[in-house]
Amino acid sequence: MQPMTEFDPAPLIPRNARILDSRRVTAKERHFRLALEAPLGHRPGQFVMLSLPGVGEAPISISCGPGDEREVELVIRACGSLTHALHQRQAGDVVGLRGPFGNGFDLQDFEQRDTVIVAGGLGLAPLRSLIEPLAARPRRYGHVTLISGCRTPADELYRDKLRAWAQLPHVDVIRLVNDTAHQPWDGEVGLVTAPIPRLDLEIPNTLAVLCGPPVMYKFVIMALAARGMQNEQIYVDLERRMRCGIGKCGHCQINQVYCCRSGPVFRFDEVATLPEALT
Amino acid sequence: MKPKIAFFDMASCEGCQLAILDCEDIFLHILDLVEIVEFREALSETAPRFDIAFVEGSIHREMDAERLRSIRARCDWLVSLGACAYNGNVQARSNALAPGENMLRVYGPEAYHRTQTDPHYWPLWAHSRVRPLSQVVAVDYHLRGCPVDREEFLQLLKRRIAGALPRVAAQAVCVECKRAGNECVFEHGDTCLGPVTWAGCNAVCIGGGYRCDGCRGLLPGANLAAHRELLREHGLSEAEIDNRYRLFCAEEVAEATA
Amino acid sequence: MTSFLANEQALEDWLRRQAERHEVYWPQRMGKASYAFQRLRRRSPLRLDRLDDAPASKPFRASACVVPPGRLLAPMQELLYRFEPDDDGGYRFIPCLDPTERLIAGIRPCDLKAIHLMDAVNAEGVPDAHYLTRRAHTTLIASNCLQPCDAHCFCEAAGSLDWREGADVFLTPQADGQQLVECLTPRGEALCADAGFSPCDAPEERRQSAEAHRPQPFGRQFDAPLVKVMAAVDETWDSPVWDKHVERCFSCGTCNLVCPTCYCFDMRDDLDIEHPGCGSRSRCADGCMLPEFAEVAGGHNFRATPAARQRHRVKRKLAYLPTQFADGSFCVGCGRCGHQCTVDIDIFDIANDLAAASEAPHAADD
Repeated sequence: MQPMTEFDPAPLIPRNARILDSRRVTAKERHFRLALEAPLGHRPGQFVMLSLPGVGEAPISISCGPGDEREVELVIRACGSLTHALHQRQAGDVVGLRGPFGNGFDLQDFEQRDTVIVAGGLGLAPLRSLIEPLAARPRRYGHVTLISGCRTPADELYRDKLRAWAQLPHVDVIRLVNDTAHQPWDGEVGLVTAPIPRLDLEIPNTLAVLCGPPVMYKFVIMALAARGMQNEQIYVDLERRMRCGIGKCGHCQINQVYCCRSGPVFRFDEVATLPEALT
Repeated sequence: MKPKIAFFDMASCEGCQLAILDCEDIFLHILDLVEIVEFREALSETAPRFDIAFVEGSIHREMDAERLRSIRARCDWLVSLGACAYNGNVQARSNALAPGENMLRVYGPEAYHRTQTDPHYWPLWAHSRVRPLSQVVAVDYHLRGCPVDREEFLQLLKRRIAGALPRVAAQAVCVECKRAGNECVFEHGDTCLGPVTWAGCNAVCIGGGYRCDGCRGLLPGANLAAHRELLREHGLSEAEIDNRYRLFCAEEVAEATA
Repeated sequence: MTSFLANEQALEDWLRRQAERHEVYWPQRMGKASYAFQRLRRRSPLRLDRLDDAPASKPFRASACVVPPGRLLAPMQELLYRFEPDDDGGYRFIPCLDPTERLIAGIRPCDLKAIHLMDAVNAEGVPDAHYLTRRAHTTLIASNCLQPCDAHCFCEAAGSLDWREGADVFLTPQADGQQLVECLTPRGEALCADAGFSPCDAPEERRQSAEAHRPQPFGRQFDAPLVKVMAAVDETWDSPVWDKHVERCFSCGTCNLVCPTCYCFDMRDDLDIEHPGCGSRSRCADGCMLPEFAEVAGGHNFRATPAARQRHRVKRKLAYLPTQFADGSFCVGCGRCGHQCTVDIDIFDIANDLAAASEAPHAADD
């Protein structure tokens, strides 16, 4: 039946990925580990298109560091029909996966540099793919300061990881919530911008990386700029609702830039002049 | 286990249930997916509980509201089936009139006077207000249209069984009309409610040579001021425009312009 | 390349012969005042009826169709793949590519340029196999425009009136009622080889002398040169012009869906009811004027207002894509968006207003 053709449709066709485990991490988010037919070969900050055949497809950030395992880790928030349905899938079930897509982070940029990572809410999921390699090789990548904020203690992702990273000598972790909501909490209370003025940074040799809800970027960038950080030193990981992942469908366009292809990671000077980038 | 589904009707023509029975070519496949436990149009059985209730019709009397609450209590998931259930449909036009005047218009002076004197005489149209289901109970999903679109019903069943919901884009009928390659109704001299009406019908009326009268309800955020002006430019009087809107969207237009 | 002269009857006969071997599409009347590219069925009668006001209903005379011919290459709804259960609890995904041999006749230069631009868009970066497969199996027969199609046409102003690239065969009506048939590609040569047309020399002169009879100016003209219009669109961000032109906008997406260079899409999954576990994914034409187009999970909308969406649409046509592809304006001046818009919002007027505003001395944008 398959017609002969000289063009490869593969970028739009999913591959099978089997759920190895799925565990609840917050009220709305579950962490998935998927087994792949072949290693993903991804860079930190890239994303995949995850689908339930017959139901739909959504862009999901890759949450694990690069490696050659035939596995990928994703954090999926139930916020729509597809993601709710994904939450009901169990170990052994098969989902569809395309990608990886996007540019991601170039780890070479981080060599011999200190890094401030600011993660808001679900933004920690994609940034973990960067934190893992940075934290694993201190002599190559320098000091890491991670500011991780979320709404309430119950919304915190990767609590075990955050605590484990905090134990490393070259990693500082500042955990914040907007509101303790009467829950036990051993971190700080406030917005992710709050710690920035007091950080002990060697600004010229420091990079900053941001990912979080749309409202967060502008204020974090203002706080970093107040510390003397230039746009070229700031990386933003932007969220858009990609449909195709290959720069065609138009949904993720930020002015003239296709977020799925030129992003979702941008050095801020590349998008600082794009009025649609942050709002 | 197959989900149990049930159908109910309130004030309606039951045309939506007929539209679903129109799936007869694939009805056996549907029965592979679900078990129909109550369906007056097709079955005599009734059931104490079910997973999905499809309710057609609008609510006119308190006894209908009570019945709806009891259906709600017996199901996990309640779907409004068609325009009457979703927004009151043509019946809701009567909400623009005082109940007494309504009564007079529909049943005549004799009946009107009898309601004043005979406490047991209370015909259907002497209600105080036509309500869509959502004004009485929580509704989980709306199947819009007069009648509902069979394909949309099937999509909902298939998705629901897969643990998801169909995505209902908040788009005007024009989207589907252009995708279908139709000639615009305004191009051939008629007027159309397509620009302010929820899509989902694949512009079936326009494709069939008619126009859109808005049976799927007013699109949220519709630019009604511009649409009214457009209809005026095409020769409709204010009264004719009001009539066109009230045909299927009486409640919503009243709300949007309040 | 070879050229011929043919009378209209010979061309009709030739196209009908093609329809015995390929799917042949040409503009046919639809509704009361419109045209559509429709399939010429082998036994179906020729429907070349004329509209009283438009002597352009023959397939080799161009007609403005509601849906552009490029949609035969990128259908409004298109199956991308089917899937079925495999033996291991997973799925077998089966791509759906369409290598049907097609021939499209009656393409106007503006639409021809649009197809050329869509070829570039779909070949660039990650190539789109579904489009390119259709395109590789499609023959294009374009027709020169000697009259503007309707009052909305501004193809000359948009720089696409004289576009020929991409056509396999290019037709130009001659004063004597014949058609000049120019074969522009080997595929066009092969198609015309056994057509029985009369060979002709000096096609260039014949075409130019026909074009000399075009009205001057040809269709609507911008108040400023195209480059200035495009520069104004590129440079304008905050402007009352965007708001002015959306007061009556329904955000219905018509302007996107009839545009020959709009190619955005959405994806949909479907499950077969007859075959449990089987289903398909398709894509359908989408538009950046639709309210939910730039919405992300959680509900934030990056272009929440009609004005922001209008700005994006106009900038895509006249600034963003022209910069990326260096092939001139992506608005080809076909006039469809303005014609089909029920409230007369016209990219021509928007562009003109932006150019005028940027010329004005107080134009201090950003």
